[in-house]
Amino acid sequence: MFQMTKKTIEHGATGQRANGVPDPLGANSEIGRKLKQYYDELISDDVPDRFAQLLSQLERSEPAQKKD
Amino acid sequence: MAVSAVFKTDMLATIPSLRAFAVSLTQNVDKADDLVQETLVKAWDKHASFQPGTNLKAWLFTILRNEFYSQMRKRGREVQDSDGIMTARLAVHPSQHGLLDLEDFRGALEKLPEDQREAIILIGASGFSYEEAAEICNCAVGTIKSRVSRARTRLQDILKISGEADYGPDAISAQVMGSTAA
Repeated sequence: MFQMTKKTIEHGATGQRANGVPDPLGANSEIGRKLKQYYDELISDDVPDRFAQLLSQLERSEPAQKKD
Repeated sequence: MAVSAVFKTDMLATIPSLRAFAVSLTQNVDKADDLVQETLVKAWDKHASFQPGTNLKAWLFTILRNEFYSQMRKRGREVQDSDGIMTARLAVHPSQHGLLDLEDFRGALEKLPEDQREAIILIGASGFSYEEAAEICNCAVGTIKSRVSRARTRLQDILKISGEADYGPDAISAQVMGSTAA
């Protein structure tokens, strides 16, 4: 039950400092990975119907004439 | 000529990304959805100014971003400045593992000033090039690069600081530390 004091510390990702070409946010960087994880979670969120409805509504209400 | 069905379909396909970017900017899902809605309406109106074959996603991101900042200006500028943020919010509590957990990260991201946050999101998560991000933010490529770099340094600082006990331990993190040590 009480194994919370056990700490697993992984050093691999943090100390990386590429001297030459930077991919500071690449897969080797902890920040880069978290950033993608954060964003992917947002992207995979369900999109509310209101947006599809809005676009359909815009499509319907669109005046037929438009320049060029 | 009517707005093409393709345009509409492409817009729909971009909505998840737009929402993710909007949440990153506003830090609030409801505000983000309103922002996306405004963006879609604006984009629809400006449809004629979009050049087919160019990057629709970047174009929509640009509109969304402009809308965000113009709303913010109207509301009397609750724009975050770089200082003062640290004190305004709770310190990120240390994760129990050596690796960051996502909540810690989110908290740290929230503490960044907008310009840095949007830069690091565009480059590190949305998949834009530095050039595209510069266009979206209407600034120089070098500016984006330096914002990304400052954002990254700052995130590292915040997250590292939070992992060490010597930085003004607040009540909550003290509690967390105390209870897990039992």
